[in-house]
Amino acid sequence: MSMLRADGVHKRYDDLEVLRGVTFEVEPGQVKVIIGPSGSGKSTLLRCLSLLEEPDAGEVSLEGKRPGPGDVGMVFQKFNLFQNMTALQNVMIGLVEVRDLPKNEARAQALEFLERVGLADKTAQYPDELSGGQQQRVAIARALVMRPKAMLFDEPTSALDVELVREVLDVMESLAREGMTMVVVSHELRFAHHVASSVLMMDEGRIVEEAPPEEFFTSPKQERTKRFLSLVE
Amino acid sequence: MLASFDTHLFWTALTSSPYWRGALLALALTAAALSTAVVGGFFLALGRESSSRAVRTLVFLYNWIFRATPTLLQLLFIWNALPQLWPVFAGTWFTPFVAAYIALSLNEAAYMCEIIRAGLLSVDPGQELAGRALGMKRRRILRRVIVPQAIRIIIPPTGNEFITLLKLTSLASVISLQELLTASQNLAAVKFQYVESYLAALVYYLVIVSILMAVQSRLERRFTWTSRRRSPVLAPAVPAISQSDAR
Ligand SMILES: Nc1ncnc2c1ncn2[C@@H]1O[C@H](COP(=O)(O)OP(=O)(O)O)[C@@H](O)[C@H]1O
Ligand SMILES: [Mg+2]
Repeated sequence: MSMLRADGVHKRYDDLEVLRGVTFEVEPGQVKVIIGPSGSGKSTLLRCLSLLEEPDAGEVSLEGKRPGPGDVGMVFQKFNLFQNMTALQNVMIGLVEVRDLPKNEARAQALEFLERVGLADKTAQYPDELSGGQQQRVAIARALVMRPKAMLFDEPTSALDVELVREVLDVMESLAREGMTMVVVSHELRFAHHVASSVLMMDEGRIVEEAPPEEFFTSPKQERTKRFLSLVE
Repeated sequence: MLASFDTHLFWTALTSSPYWRGALLALALTAAALSTAVVGGFFLALGRESSSRAVRTLVFLYNWIFRATPTLLQLLFIWNALPQLWPVFAGTWFTPFVAAYIALSLNEAAYMCEIIRAGLLSVDPGQELAGRALGMKRRRILRRVIVPQAIRIIIPPTGNEFITLLKLTSLASVISLQELLTASQNLAAVKFQYVESYLAALVYYLVIVSILMAVQSRLERRFTWTSRRRSPVLAPAVPAISQSDAR
């Protein structure tokens, strides 16, 4: 059974039909990378997968069921760390507020996950005092500590200075090696090459092509994919 | 020094019981009315953003009525007209202080509504999105994430409202509340020495506002999130004197 599945998902905002029937599935441990032009609905799709947004039609399921709170982790382009909390508090809050863990337990787990993303020495810093790369790693720890069954990344490195991209991709790669099921919207094509189980091309609210990275990048079938790749590379 | 300045009278006035009682009363009235208005304004602000059209309209009407009419008229209405409308307000419990407290709270809530609403809206929507992605309930996100960040924005204009309200308490002298202005008027009427009488009242206002400024800058630092408590840069620690003094 697939881990995460979208089945004929439609979403519209007023007159604008953003998702026009998206169907795809992610097997346990797979990493799917989605590329596509701006405005094609990639972010909307991720928001529907994490149920931040309710699809107008179609279904989203996690292991055959509707995902519960915190079951699908989400990482945003702009990090969205809680500005009024330290790195540690950012990672703790989900455990305390959603998983109802006692504070000391939550703190211990949060520390463990901050260590995992290499930020054991930044626990007391506020988001404003961290670099973009560090903020994004805290955001990843904040999502991971909830023990999600799948992780969604919405252009996690596109708000970062070039020299900070690597540290975030490294964390994501090690996560993929550990077998995390992931959906990543990203135009880091080398990352897609190395890590993706398959790459998806999205355009005008539809998935127009899906293939393993080797095939996707060397011999794309769709004209739109070819054109888009020539623009990104 | 002015030839006619009577230092002794000034000093006597400053330390006399009508003055410091009057100042205490003004301070108490301001603090009580502002606290009530902050709570009221918070719920009005939520109402302004409500999905129900009826609720939004009610809040709009409330703000319209209390902002479009003179505060003095509202005060007189509550003190004189309310007991005629409802006999409960004719009881001895309905003192000038209570009447002024009700009038200023209702009036100030309309202003705080706009301030709090602007504060809540200024928080990046990504903050709520991140909270929802973690599975937090809306109410918890509001309490743990949005409200603390909005408070930082709300503090400086609220400091201005405190000063405005403090000055508005002098209006309550018309309903015979024995506040600072009443104390100085009474003294001036007896002694015909206006300079000393008014100056003493002025000193009290200045002292109260200075204490407020100190409290405000401490609060602002408390709601600035850095591990090194640098002084806030977002807004001046000293409140600008409000431009909306026409009330
Ligand atoms: N909350 C919203 N309300 C209205 N329109 C939206 C909203 N979110 C996205 N859109 C619109 O939907 C389209 C797709 O947006 P998005 O999913 O962010 O695309 P992408 O992430 O691929 O750039 C865009 O035209 C965008 O303006
Ligand atoms: Mg996007």
